[in-house]
Amino acid sequence: MSELVLENVTLRFGGLLALDNVSFSVAPGSLHALIGPNGAGKSSCFNVISGLYRPTSGAVRLGDKNLLQLRPHQVARLGIGRAFQNTALSQHSTVLDNVLLGRHALTKGGFIACGLRLTRREEQRHATRAKEICDFLGITAMVDQPLGALPYGVAKRVDIARALAVEPSLLLLDEPAAGMNTEETADLAGTIGQIRTDLGIAILLVEHDMDLVMGIADQVTVLDFGRVIADGTPTEVQTNADVIKAYLGVSA
Amino acid sequence: MSRRLSWLPWLVIVLVALALPLYLDAQWLKAGQYMMIGAVGAIGLTLLSGQAGQLSLAHGFFLLVGATSYTVLSGDEEGLVGLGLDPLLSLVGAVAISALAGMAFAPVAGRVRGIYLGVASLSLVFLGLYLGQEAETLTGGTSTGRAPATFELFGFPFSNEGELVIAGVPIRGTERLWYLFLALLALSYWLARGAVRSRVGRSWRAVRDNEAAAAAMGVDVRRTKASVFAVSSGYAGLAGVMIVLWFDILKPDESEYGTYGINTSIAFLAMVIIGGLGSVTGAVIGALVVFGLPQVLTLYSTNLGWFTGSVTPVLVSSFVYGAAIVLVVLFEPGGLAAIGRRIRELRS
Amino acid sequence: MTTFLQLMLNGLGKGAVFALLALGFVVIFKATEVVNFAHGSIVLFGGYIVLVTKDTIGWAGGAFLGILTAGVLALAVERLLLARSRHADPFSLALLTIGIDVIITEEIVRRLGVTVPFIGDAWDAKPIQLGGVTLFRTHLVALLVATVLITAFFFALRYTNWGIAMRAQAENREAAALVGIRSSRVTATVWLMAGLLAGIAVLFIATQDFSGAGLSRGTHSIALAAFPAAIIGGLDSTVGAIVGGITVGLVDALSTHYISFAFAKSAIFLVMLVVLIARPAGLFGTRETTRV
Repeated sequence: MSELVLENVTLRFGGLLALDNVSFSVAPGSLHALIGPNGAGKSSCFNVISGLYRPTSGAVRLGDKNLLQLRPHQVARLGIGRAFQNTALSQHSTVLDNVLLGRHALTKGGFIACGLRLTRREEQRHATRAKEICDFLGITAMVDQPLGALPYGVAKRVDIARALAVEPSLLLLDEPAAGMNTEETADLAGTIGQIRTDLGIAILLVEHDMDLVMGIADQVTVLDFGRVIADGTPTEVQTNADVIKAYLGVSA
Repeated sequence: MSRRLSWLPWLVIVLVALALPLYLDAQWLKAGQYMMIGAVGAIGLTLLSGQAGQLSLAHGFFLLVGATSYTVLSGDEEGLVGLGLDPLLSLVGAVAISALAGMAFAPVAGRVRGIYLGVASLSLVFLGLYLGQEAETLTGGTSTGRAPATFELFGFPFSNEGELVIAGVPIRGTERLWYLFLALLALSYWLARGAVRSRVGRSWRAVRDNEAAAAAMGVDVRRTKASVFAVSSGYAGLAGVMIVLWFDILKPDESEYGTYGINTSIAFLAMVIIGGLGSVTGAVIGALVVFGLPQVLTLYSTNLGWFTGSVTPVLVSSFVYGAAIVLVVLFEPGGLAAIGRRIRELRS
Repeated sequence: MTTFLQLMLNGLGKGAVFALLALGFVVIFKATEVVNFAHGSIVLFGGYIVLVTKDTIGWAGGAFLGILTAGVLALAVERLLLARSRHADPFSLALLTIGIDVIITEEIVRRLGVTVPFIGDAWDAKPIQLGGVTLFRTHLVALLVATVLITAFFFALRYTNWGIAMRAQAENREAAALVGIRSSRVTATVWLMAGLLAGIAVLFIATQDFSGAGLSRGTHSIALAAFPAAIIGGLDSTVGAIVGGITVGLVDALSTHYISFAFAKSAIFLVMLVVLIARPAGLFGTRETTRV
């Protein structure tokens, strides 16, 4: 299990400074939340970690591996799974098919091998494992249904299942509770907590819902205008004056 | 229909296909062969444009590559480049060369997406037109063309040579080619279906639906695009070999409307749209319509005296598939595959 | 030297026509993000109307009618087919235009039969000698007409309500709709405009001076050059369409002369391919940024 470290990461888009000297680290097995107002740079952070954006300067390491040298699919193969803000799932495919995509890096076989059905047995094994993950996330009943027909809350769980299928040591969750009501959010909080406890996976969570974050996070980093303005336990952050000013409002 | 008997329709189709040469005239067999050529090409295009979402209008070009490669690899005439290789080896070689050509174009798909990629791929058709005309020592030029080597399988010639009789019916060149094409189509179909349902198909669909998400799941997007272009071009190349065996001549086009031109690329696109983008079975049915209609209409016209004047079978077929594209996009973008799914849902 | 000058003039003249075609292409794309594969067929249609009417109502009348009907056809295609598509994403609509192109082209080619008529009667094959250089009247008139039309277009784009509406819709369709710009009206007018431009372009294309080939399937192929012209310039840039058109005209003239006629066709598309790879958005187009 390795620690994810961001050191002095700066990201520019032309004249726009998306990330300004951002540094924080995610301890192995911990639940770390990344919060901040809209446009603070949270998704940019994720995209830098995933390898989709190249920072202008700074370092990103997983353990002793420099992530900035890697292409996005190589970052995934290192054991970093990701669930997206807008789920980014295949609407026409079934839940199982979507989750199985996460097994891509763990399987082999090109057109000829698959065409000749040489990979059948291996696929069965992975399908079993994918179903286990779906079970863990409570979506077993919909495993063979096309994604397009399912409600948003279920789709978000499928997205998480797919990220887990990568067998990650670090899971990036991009606003998993977006669009959910109180009950669904509480459910999700429980699931996320379970992922951390039962599976021992480190989680970096971007969220707007303060109740969710403060309830389950071990560590919280607050971004505002691309800069880190606080980094500590939930209680520390909640009482931080800068954070209250920028984000939480007086009634925190 | 119970799951245990789901293979029954397939068995019937296969048996009928195997028996047809015993009952049909050569001209009808030739029409069927042409449809099979379309099917092989269409399967390749549906994998590329339907499964992986990479629009291509270059299919005509890869047909030319396959056709020329087979002829050059197996050919052996005075004044023309030919390696005189065994026909089976030449066929495999032609498919491989076409696949490599496809891979060479793949990086363009890394820079350009969607409709832009389709337009970019048009340039290949024009390149093929030019090379076909200029590389006369390879292609034989546009006026005379070049005869391809007769296909042989371990010494057994797919021509009228030699005596072969089944159930009292002489199995000559046309009949033998029918079985060859059937085998090639069956193999093409089977491989494609296997790929679509497995890891490879999944990675293609992931690239189609969201490249960033695909990469985040460990899919090497660049490599996946290269491989799907290779596969699709390989299929087109195989169709090219079949076409040159069907025509019994390699003749590069004189304009961008011809056997290997833009119209051919559009015809294949029509097959795939009609069948439903991404559906392998749909592609085959689309091919039966788009390539079958002109053939069948021509046969009927000679037998019934239809189509005198400017309304030709080719024209009618073009109208039909042009209209079919319009109708599909307007009313059922999923094509025949989607219609088939609806029917199945209604039944259950 | 005079040959080179000659070639440049030819190239500019042809380029002017390609610019008109590309402009029509680009305004459709700017307003709707649809790549119009049916452009060539509208060119053919306009030319056909000129052909069948010019003997009865004179060339000028025929030309006027041809331009008008080409515009109306384009409008009809948009209103009756594209606007009615339930699944109206630009990609599917582009595929739709492929189907339309096949239908219209095949029908016109059928009616033309074996005739390959020239329809630029007013200026075709009436060269002007100036010094040692032969000026093709067709090219000169094309250049003049194109200059006038393009200037008028840019003026309209900048100063009229229509122009502002069009730019707003091109910039951000939803926002434009929210401020009361009727997208259906903008879309309809750009298609009408593209059709009119196509009708004008064909009067120059189907001439001896321009292509040596009369109205035929070949005209459709020539009109295909609108693609590389628009793409080289940048599919969403009207300035790009002009630059792209001129570029294609020059490449065509120079490569036909210095290499071969056969190569010229590929040359244009290869230049397009190179530009697409080096600058996917074209010389003047705007880069697309996708949010993850």
